[in-house]
Amino acid sequence: MSTAMTTPTSNAIAVDGLTKTYEGRTVVDDVSFTVDEGEILAILGPNGAGKTTTVESIAGLRTPDAGTVGVFGHDPLVDRTEVARLLGVQLQESSFQDKLTVREIVDTYRGLYPDPLDADELLGSLGLGPSAGTRYAKLSGGQQQRVSIAVALVGRPRAVILDELTTGLDPQSRRDTWTLVEDLHDRGVTVLLVTHFMEEAERLADRVALIDHGRLVALDTPQGLVDLANLEQRLSFSTTATLDEDWIRRLPEVSGVARDADTYVVTGDERMVFSVVSLLAAHDIVPGRLQVDQPTLDDAFVALAGRPLITDTDTGTTLEATR
Amino acid sequence: MTAFMTLTRTQARVFLREPVVVAFGLIFPAVLLLVIGSVFPGATEVNAELGDKSLVQIYAPASAVMALLTLGIAMLPQAIGLDRERGILRRLSVTPAHPRLLVAAHVLVQAVAVTIATIGAVLVGRLAFDLPLPQAPGWFLLAFVLSAAALLGIGVLIGALVPTAQAGTGTGMLLYFPMLFFAGIYVPLEIMPAGLRTISGWTPAGAAANAMGDAWAGTAPTATSLLVLGVTAVASGVLAARLFRWE
Repeated sequence: MSTAMTTPTSNAIAVDGLTKTYEGRTVVDDVSFTVDEGEILAILGPNGAGKTTTVESIAGLRTPDAGTVGVFGHDPLVDRTEVARLLGVQLQESSFQDKLTVREIVDTYRGLYPDPLDADELLGSLGLGPSAGTRYAKLSGGQQQRVSIAVALVGRPRAVILDELTTGLDPQSRRDTWTLVEDLHDRGVTVLLVTHFMEEAERLADRVALIDHGRLVALDTPQGLVDLANLEQRLSFSTTATLDEDWIRRLPEVSGVARDADTYVVTGDERMVFSVVSLLAAHDIVPGRLQVDQPTLDDAFVALAGRPLITDTDTGTTLEATR
Repeated sequence: MTAFMTLTRTQARVFLREPVVVAFGLIFPAVLLLVIGSVFPGATEVNAELGDKSLVQIYAPASAVMALLTLGIAMLPQAIGLDRERGILRRLSVTPAHPRLLVAAHVLVQAVAVTIATIGAVLVGRLAFDLPLPQAPGWFLLAFVLSAAALLGIGVLIGALVPTAQAGTGTGMLLYFPMLFFAGIYVPLEIMPAGLRTISGWTPAGAAANAMGDAWAGTAPTATSLLVLGVTAVASGVLAARLFRWE
C-alpha cells in the first residue's frame, strides 16, 4: 500500500517497498509510506510488528533486503553524514556513559553537529535544567529518556524519529513528553513516532500507519482509520417500560439489538442513535443511563489488523511479547 | 572544536572517573618500581646473575610495559565492549560523526595515559634510585611508540570483536596474565631459561620489554623486537578496522 506523493520535495521521509528478513523470518514485508514535511506520523503496532526495524532502516542502521529509503531525498546508506544532520534519532535501546553528567552528554553531542542548539535552552525546554550536573546513572527513567530526546534534538534536525519514547514512563512524564512532541510539531519539525500506545497515536499523530506482522495494514488519519474500519456505533440504555425489541430491530439504521434484563444495547450506523431515541420518544419511553460509544482507534486496529493491540497502558509494559 | 577532539575530551573524563583504571594503569607501575627498588636488598646494584643489570634497571622498562598491558590489554577491550553493549557506538552512528572516532579517542586517551605511566617509571628510576635516563633516547622513543601501537592495537582488536564489557574483560584477562609473564613481570627475562626467553622475545609483550630495555641501556633494539612489534601493530590495526562490530 503506497501513498503516492506528487511533489517529492514535500516528503521528509519516503519508504518504498522496504523489506527486511532475519534468519528466514520476514520482519518488515514490503512496507511503503511517506512522511510529509511538518507532520507527525505515528507507526502503531504490537511488539514485534517490525516498527523498530522500519525506523532503524530509515536512520541507516539497517540495510534493507529490498526497497528504498529516502530522507529529504538522501539515501541513508549512501549519504550517511547528510542524513545524520537532517534526522535526529531517539533510539529505543540506547544509553550513555554512566559517569557523565547530563550537561557533559549534551555538550559531547553538540560537538558533533555543525550548528547545535544552545545547551541551556535545550536542557531548560526539556525540564533538565536542575539535573544538568547529575550523572546519567543517577537519573530517573523519565530523565534518562529526556536526555535521549535532548541528544536527538541537539543538532537542529528537520525530522526526528522517536522510538517508543514514552515506554516505561509514569503517566505524568508521558503527558509532559507528549507536550514536548507537540512543541516540536509547532516548530515545524517532522516527527516519525513509533508507539504501541493507541492513546499516544490518537493524541499526537496527524496520520497513523498501522503495522502488524511486518506489513502496513492501513495508513490514514486517526478518524480516517476509524471510518475505514467501518465501525458501528453502540447505544445502550435501560428502561423498565414494556419495549418490544422488534420495534427497534425493524429500524433500517439498526444492525443488532441485545437485551439483558432492562438494559438494551443497540448497534448500527451513525444515524441509528437518532432513530432509536425518536422511536423511544414516540412511545413515551424515557431511556435511563443512556450511553453512546464512539468507535476508537483501538477498535479500528482490531477491525483492520484482525487482532487487538494488547497493552497495559498504566505501566507501559506489554502483556503480549511476540518478540 | 572538532568532533574527534570533543569525543577525546569526553573519553578522558570517562577514563579519569574510573578509579581502578587510574590506579592500576597510571600509578601502579611507578609504585611497583618504587616497591621493588626499596624492598629488595641490593636492587640498585649490578648483578651478574641478572645479566650484569640491577633489578631496578630491569623493572623500570618492565613496569612501563606493565602499564601498557594493564591499560591496553586488561582495560581497553572492556571499555570498547561497554560502549558497544550500552549502545553508545550505535548512538554515535546516527550522528554526523562516525563511531570510529570514539574508538580513536579511546586509543588517544590510553596512549597519553601510558606515556604518563612511562614517564612516571623513568622519573621514579631517576629520582629514587639514581637510574640513568634512557641512554638511547631515539631508540627508546621508537621502542615505546611501537610497543604502544602493538599492545593498544591488540586491545582494540579484542574490543572490536567482543559483544559486551564482560566478554572484553574476560578475553583481556586471558591474554593479560600470560603477557605479564612474557614481559618479565613475574620473573625477570634475564633469568628465564634461554628457550623460554626466545619464545618471549617473539611475543609482543616480550618484544616490548626487550626493545625498551635495550634502548634504556643504550643499545639499539634487536630487529626481532622491532619486527614483532611492527607486525603486531599493523596486523591488529588492519584486522580491527575490518572486523569491528559497530553493534
